[in-house]
Amino acid sequence: MNTRDLVLIALFAAIVVVLGLIPPITLGFIPVPITAQSMGVMLAGCIIGARRAALSFLLFVLLVAIGLPVLSGGRGGLAILAGPSGGFIIGWAVAAYITGLIAERVIRPGISEGRQLIGFFLASVVGGILVLYAIGVPWLSFVTGTPLVAAAGGSLAFIPGDLVKAGIATLAARAVYAGYPLLPARA
Amino acid sequence: MLTSLYVEGQTWFHRAPVRAKLIALLALSIALFATNSPLLLLPAFLLCGGLYFSLGLTLRQAFARVGVVFFTILVLAVVNLFLIPVPDVLALVLRLMALVLFAAAVTATTTIGAFMDEVTVLLRPLERLGLVRAADVSLALGLVLRFVPDIFARYQAIREAHRARGVPIRPLTIIGPLIILTLKDADTIAAAIDARGFRRQ
Repeated sequence: MNTRDLVLIALFAAIVVVLGLIPPITLGFIPVPITAQSMGVMLAGCIIGARRAALSFLLFVLLVAIGLPVLSGGRGGLAILAGPSGGFIIGWAVAAYITGLIAERVIRPGISEGRQLIGFFLASVVGGILVLYAIGVPWLSFVTGTPLVAAAGGSLAFIPGDLVKAGIATLAARAVYAGYPLLPARA
Repeated sequence: MLTSLYVEGQTWFHRAPVRAKLIALLALSIALFATNSPLLLLPAFLLCGGLYFSLGLTLRQAFARVGVVFFTILVLAVVNLFLIPVPDVLALVLRLMALVLFAAAVTATTTIGAFMDEVTVLLRPLERLGLVRAADVSLALGLVLRFVPDIFARYQAIREAHRARGVPIRPLTIIGPLIILTLKDADTIAAAIDARGFRRQ
């Protein structure tokens, strides 16, 4: 790994920490407030690519584990990882990797803006929502004993908010791609 | 801005070696998931709670740290009441709360330095395989701590710029510039690290 990659990984982890300090926004039509931090997975994958995004989130989880209050609302420490939503935090690295993998395959310099937007949105939804829930929900079901079907049904309440996040992440990723492209392209 | 969750103190749990505490946490999680009996889980819960509340945290601090997690656990427990038998719900709540309390106790009594020493030990097998270098992990961690205040200052500057122009503050118009401005520094920082030979490459 070259030094630039290492720095990008660290800087993105730091950006995710700062996103946790931004006050959450509430939208009228969605029950759960949107925290900017939870967009980090989608943003990381779409902006710095699979490998660096995954390492960035492993670093971030390390920050949580060693007791730094880096999660939104000033939370952190091993207690969060041991709690019901620990799986979502552990799952971030995998989700960022899959997001990045899709983005790297779909996005190429020559393609039209519309296709870039579709590509980023697809990557954010599959990686940042599907993969993340595929890890987080069974984990929650296991530690809390809530039957899997009920846990999955309950998390549907978060899906509208997540789709809004994917939309915002798509537009932001596209803006960064236009201004300062870092996404490694793959055939 | 990023103050660790470590609490100053001289209790026996502060003095216990980190590795022992982490192994105890792992062992406890396995043991607690192996039993379903409230007769075993209740004492475990009380012991973990007693330990956590004897570490020198004020009651308010102590509750603030585990409050959100406990709230989630209780909400899920209420849902569970409709789905699974009551004794099972009780066992699940006691088990999870005991685990969370013990984990919070480990976090509150271990400094970042001590954690990093253990991380270095855990990384050693990966280091031998040539997959990762422990020094790089420490460097990346240091970079994060170094740059969070800078990036936050940048966020505030962008927010002020929005206000000055009368533009509503929306995540979309903030996140793009914030990320571009931050990542553009990567080359300079990387050059600065290499120029000083920190990574000996």
